[in-house]
Amino acid sequence: MIWNISWKNVWRNRSRSLVVIIAITLGTISGIFVAGLMKGWVDQRTHAAIHTEVSHIKIQNPQYLNNEELKHTVPDYAEIAEFLNQSDEVKAWTKHTKIVAMASTSRGNTALTLKGINPDEEKTVSDLYTYIVKDGGNYFESGFKNPIVISEKTADQLRLINYIISQELLDSLKTLGAKEQLLNNLEPLKDQRFITEKKFKAKLESILKPGQIKEFGADIMKLAKNYKLRSKIVFTFSGMNGEMSYQSFRVCGIFKTANTMFDQMNAFVKEESIADVAGFQANDYHEVNIILDDSDEQVNAFRDKLKSKFPDASVMTWKEIAPDAGMMADFMSMYYYMIMGVIFFALAFGIINTMLMAVLERIKELGMLMAVGMNKKRVFSMIMLETIFLTLVGSMAGMIIGGALIGIFGQVGLNFASVQEGFEAFGWSAMVYPNIDISFFFGVTAMVIVIAILSSIIPARKALKLNPVEAIRTE
Amino acid sequence: MKVIDIKNLTKIYNESEVKVKAVDNVSLSFEEGEFAAIVGPSGSGKTTLLNMIGGLDNATEGEIIVNGTNMGTLKSSELIDFRLRNIGFVFQSYNLIPVLTAKENVEFIMDLQGRDKIERDNRAIELLKAVGLGERVNARPAKLSGGQQQRVAVARALASKPKFVLADEPTANLDSKSTETLLDIMEELNKKEKITFIFSTHDQRVVNKAHRVITVEDGHVKSDERRN
Repeated sequence: MIWNISWKNVWRNRSRSLVVIIAITLGTISGIFVAGLMKGWVDQRTHAAIHTEVSHIKIQNPQYLNNEELKHTVPDYAEIAEFLNQSDEVKAWTKHTKIVAMASTSRGNTALTLKGINPDEEKTVSDLYTYIVKDGGNYFESGFKNPIVISEKTADQLRLINYIISQELLDSLKTLGAKEQLLNNLEPLKDQRFITEKKFKAKLESILKPGQIKEFGADIMKLAKNYKLRSKIVFTFSGMNGEMSYQSFRVCGIFKTANTMFDQMNAFVKEESIADVAGFQANDYHEVNIILDDSDEQVNAFRDKLKSKFPDASVMTWKEIAPDAGMMADFMSMYYYMIMGVIFFALAFGIINTMLMAVLERIKELGMLMAVGMNKKRVFSMIMLETIFLTLVGSMAGMIIGGALIGIFGQVGLNFASVQEGFEAFGWSAMVYPNIDISFFFGVTAMVIVIAILSSIIPARKALKLNPVEAIRTE
Repeated sequence: MKVIDIKNLTKIYNESEVKVKAVDNVSLSFEEGEFAAIVGPSGSGKTTLLNMIGGLDNATEGEIIVNGTNMGTLKSSELIDFRLRNIGFVFQSYNLIPVLTAKENVEFIMDLQGRDKIERDNRAIELLKAVGLGERVNARPAKLSGGQQQRVAVARALASKPKFVLADEPTANLDSKSTETLLDIMEELNKKEKITFIFSTHDQRVVNKAHRVITVEDGHVKSDERRN
């Protein structure tokens, strides 16, 4: 019956309770949504770290970590390969040769790491093949000799991107809602080729109004991009014998991930296309990448197994190689609760205030209850339950709405395009798909109950201090 | 059978430096089934006396023995439980819980006593019928008149099957008709259930109905008149 009274008491002063409930609802929505957003980012970053960049476990020559000389290949590779093939925990694995090289075209050059891969095998370990940009070729499907897949960033540095205002671009702008005046302004530039982004931007700024650039600038830049596929890139590097070697490749695909650093450092070629020129022998590889189940326990256990079996090799987990992503994955759940904690701490003052008012306006009734035989434990329970109900109603509504918002934005995504460059410089995607573990809702519910209990202490103490005789006489 | 035995009861209030003797060496006893009124002018000490009998206020000296239990020896928590099981209260301004229906208000005391739902339901309905509110069991206090609310309060006071009921100015806020109805109901219940009723009042209508009238003045019992 105390539950019944407490629940009904919540609605005694409907408008006052609703103000607090709405505040709690909004606070919970914000907390849940921010937590979902952060989790979305962390999950995406973790997924990229494992499935695009590093894999779960990487085996290398320990000396290669200090000195990236080609001679420091993975020790005992044949035994490692055999062991991995026989291990049930291993879902997939692959190996790379790696050469730090200088890439040059007729217009530009840049230093990067050339990774020799087996494309089919690579697809089982890395999802990089899914990051080929629109109109950016393909992932080693072109039939020509010595194909290479480079990042959009590298293509830009090597001047392999042109900007052209084509009829197709004008048509696309029209469907995006561009006005005739904008199309007319662009018309004189039609079919002109701009060899750098800077020059193209400068030209656009000279012919378009600031408002037009603000509205359609990003779309024009994106649509005008023209990748120079099949372009030749010459790589210069020091081979196994220490002699300078050269090899040329033709661009077959251009990729773009959310990690600018990864993009500008890596290019991928078929392993056989550099083996001979670099002087690699059979089983000369610089890294072995392994995919397991996404379980820290399994990853650590398998790392330890590999370490004990192959003591001469360096065996590292993704968390050791990408500590930023590892730390985020480990500590993020604590941050979510900290966010919720701060929000509820602030809301607790509102809850205490409301409950104090509820107690003060019911002094006479509380006096009567104590006079007729309601003991202190029951009085405290009644006020505590009332506080819990008040807080739970708001937080439940907040969790439902917050969960629904996460569900919606988890499907369509949230695009932080305006800060894309900054985000991607740190490996964080600008397009984020929020998500949240169901366990977080249980955690928040427990937190709400604790906050409600703590918030009820001051109002309940006020009630318990009442003298029934004096309280009954209160007008 | 003696329900309440009051021996040399004194209550002194220490307000600043001035000591006020609200009740001065009062000795009284009440038998089972009495219908008694404590009367006296304002400030005579009748409400203080009633509060002490109800265990809501402590005596400075003397003792109150209810059914063999000396209330002065009970700890605060024991006293609350003692009140719950032995004493029914009716207050001047009804003091019903506004969010509960008439039936729930009556049931509530029995819930505190730990009685089961069926027993609570049956007794609440039975008592509300007895006070003439059988048709209004699901009405909230705001939908009831003052007289009806006080009748619910009487039903609530009886719900716990108390040894006696203390009613502090129960008719002060009621019109004549409601007062008459309420007093008739209480007298009827007194006769039927052999429950002792003790009123603190200066309402002549209550005094006229009482079977025993105790007049208090300046903290002393001035007269104790029994009527047939």
